Amino acid sequence: MLRIHKVTGDSMSPDFQDGDFVVLTTVPFFLNRLKIGDIIIFEHKLYGTLIKRIASFDPETAEAYVEGTRPDSLDSLRLGTIRRDAIRGKVIAHFSR
Amino acid sequence: MIYQLLTRLDEKFGFETAQAHCDVPCGIYDPSTAQIAALTVVRMMDLMAALESGDEKSTTDFHNSMERYISVKEEHAEKAKHEIRIIWGDYFKKDKHPNVDDLVHKIMQLGSKVRQTADREAGVAFVAAINEFAEAFWATKEVKTKKAKAPYAPALEMVYPDL
Repeated sequence: MLRIHKVTGDSMSPDFQDGDFVVLTTVPFFLNRLKIGDIIIFEHKLYGTLIKRIASFDPETAEAYVEGTRPDSLDSLRLGTIRRDAIRGKVIAHFSR
Repeated sequence: MIYQLLTRLDEKFGFETAQAHCDVPCGIYDPSTAQIAALTVVRMMDLMAALESGDEKSTTDFHNSMERYISVKEEHAEKAKHEIRIIWGDYFKKDKHPNVDDLVHKIMQLGSKVRQTADREAGVAFVAAINEFAEAFWATKEVKTKKAKAPYAPALEMVYPDL
């Protein structure tokens, strides 16, 4: 299944900028494996729906460490690791102005 | 084209948002700081030349003024380079704006030259290159630009967003 989201904020700039649109696949991850470098959209209990890049995986829990592009981006140091069930989907297409 | 279509659909139906948060407020990019800094460099060159053409060259006041002009020229050349580097690195996309790389390299070299020398031609070229960068920047935001002389010395032609 595909969904469209609009990006707000600039932590992923210049790759993804405020106002860009992304298409994400919500196909179950056992059919569509996540890997380092993938852009994901996920739910965070404090910050809401976020878009970030997977930086690495916890070797024991397989939870994802995420990061933005900009050095001042919120990352897993502040967000914690991202559980699989919090991940809405993986970005597969991107449209910018 | 697809972006425009998605924008219209978003206006009508409202897509969900995904936030790309930073620790600090960000997303404010504007080349005007670099443009003013580059203009200041030329202004300092003019003041240096005017001072040099005077009769009093061995007074304390002469050396004090010259030192201040040189110091401000150094500071603003570096400020202009810094501002351009930020916009280039954090805003421009390499795949969408491939020509900006060469322009930024040219700005960096001119920025060094105006620090090393008091060459006014290099100063004017520095301003012109940063104006070109400003045009490219505003084009990415679909903001028209206009050219007009700065309303203060050295009154060089500048690029302004036509808002």
